[in-house]
Amino acid sequence: MDEFIVKDCLLLTRMSGLPPAFNLRELRDRITACSNDVLHHHFFETSLRTTFDDPEYRNDFAVWAKEKLADRILAERLGIIDPYEIESITLLRQLVLDIIEDRLSELSPWVPAVRPGEEFFFMEAIVIAFETDQRIRRPSELADAIEEMTNGCIFFHFLEALRRPPVHMDDFTAWLQQFGSSGEPFARAISSIDFYFKSLPALRDELSRTLRTVKVAQS
Amino acid sequence: MNHTLAEYEPVVGPASIRQLRQLGSRLAGTRLVHVNSTREGGGVAEILGWMVPLMRDIKVDATWEVITGPPRFYEVTKAIHNGLQGLPVRLSDKDWALLRDTNAAWAEQHKQYLKDADVVIIHDPQPAFLVNYCRNGRSKWIWRAHIDISHPYRPVWKNLRGVIEKYDASIFSLNAFAQPLSHSQYLVPPSIDPLSDKNCDLPQSEVRKVCGQIGLDCGRPILLQVSRFDRFKDPLGVIKAYQLVRHVAPVQLVLAGGGAADDPEGNAVYQEVLAAAEGDPDIHVLLLPSDAHRLINALQRVADIILLKSIKEGFGLTVTEAMWKGKPVIGGDTGGIRLQVFNYQTGFLVSTPEGAAHRIRFLLDHRRRLERMGAIAHEFVRENFLLTRHLRDYLTLVFALTNNKAERILYI
Repeated sequence: MDEFIVKDCLLLTRMSGLPPAFNLRELRDRITACSNDVLHHHFFETSLRTTFDDPEYRNDFAVWAKEKLADRILAERLGIIDPYEIESITLLRQLVLDIIEDRLSELSPWVPAVRPGEEFFFMEAIVIAFETDQRIRRPSELADAIEEMTNGCIFFHFLEALRRPPVHMDDFTAWLQQFGSSGEPFARAISSIDFYFKSLPALRDELSRTLRTVKVAQS
Repeated sequence: MNHTLAEYEPVVGPASIRQLRQLGSRLAGTRLVHVNSTREGGGVAEILGWMVPLMRDIKVDATWEVITGPPRFYEVTKAIHNGLQGLPVRLSDKDWALLRDTNAAWAEQHKQYLKDADVVIIHDPQPAFLVNYCRNGRSKWIWRAHIDISHPYRPVWKNLRGVIEKYDASIFSLNAFAQPLSHSQYLVPPSIDPLSDKNCDLPQSEVRKVCGQIGLDCGRPILLQVSRFDRFKDPLGVIKAYQLVRHVAPVQLVLAGGGAADDPEGNAVYQEVLAAAEGDPDIHVLLLPSDAHRLINALQRVADIILLKSIKEGFGLTVTEAMWKGKPVIGGDTGGIRLQVFNYQTGFLVSTPEGAAHRIRFLLDHRRRLERMGAIAHEFVRENFLLTRHLRDYLTLVFALTNNKAERILYI
């Protein structure tokens, strides 16, 4: 059986080079023109960044719509987007643009805007991934190992993994498959977790707790 | 006092320390030179004072150099510093030549040393021109702006921009503080040191002693603002907020800070604050020396609610310090306070004395919520604004720059 090699990652944000958006029309225009990395950052990387984890909405566009534009309708429509369910960044971009276009049309001719200081900054990030010296040999070791992991490990193996082949599968579940029926209860426990609204520390605690319950039941 | 990385383990946990050591092992032997313009005093020297020893602790060959020059050099660089923050300043061609010449002369003495470095981090504008004189083909040069240059006095920025563009990357504390540049601009927010006198745990006896010295009644709610006596910190607005609360709750207010001794504007604000507080024994105005760290620490620990009702603010590290002590913060809706204070989570953002008074009353009336928000604030700082995260960001940037790959994820 293959050992699980624990990897860690670090994220550093940088300016995208796009001018900030001061109103909804500018937001639409910048989203049309921005790189995939920018969209990726504002949808997928928010939990690993140096920022307060907004418990209500998980993408930056929804948070901005609610907090700065004070447009709760738009925030709700953007906030429900689950980017992990969308096949590609191209489709994600189109979905976001459709929602914003619809809202602009509903509000026309008024264009919601913000004061200076509340503009939307378009960011991107670089992620450094590296192997740690931590190894996991058996499914029963997962709970303890996860408890010791950094936010970067959880992000890399649980969230970032969903976008790597095999797509829609986290690294823990993919590794557990080789154990057949003995790994199945652990994989089932992982799949029962709705990760989308959890901060990384909360996700780590939940994963660890759930897997420990399976371990105790098995022993 | 310098601490080792191991000393931070009880505060940030073993996983964070292990992560830094693993990262450091991959950068072992990398020669990294920081250059700024002062060894003591000010935030930059404070950061380098802990960062360089911690980098060395994880085997990065980090050193710290200080550029020196004639007295006029410091006057010119002070003017540039002010100009970058938007103040109209007059600088002649001769002044700019002095800046260039001082950098060139210092570079001449340290040329080989800087040329041997793998990474050079230049802090603020004073040593910025060094990039002209001692770069080799392989080293990476980073310019670190510790100040807000979003609205600079244009003639100053026009003169400096050309040299900044020669760097491989720059670092800003907040996206709102940056200027458009042709190279990558990374964001590294500042941090606090949880083991420093300003933030370390204090014995209850010391906290009680401070209360006694100042004449605070620990049985009644205490409001605190720690800030320079500066109009942008709106101390008079804080007094007004206190007065609005005073008739419904037996609160006490402490306004503690420095910055009045050699600053005419600060002294004027201080006098206005004294006048506004006159006759009220429950307002304590404390003019503190710059090294009163433990006293401020004790005040933050004994306070129920901490304010920073700024009208204009940089990052607002006193907010971070307050949250580290498990206190919710009522902060002005501006600058870096917005990155730290989140309504009903870590505190409240306000725009007026009335707004501050409203939130003070709310928190005093919802004690359990106050405590919960304080706990969230403490964890928020632990995850995001301690110096270990700051160090991690710098190491990540060194990796990003020394591996010239364009991918979003860099596997090392």
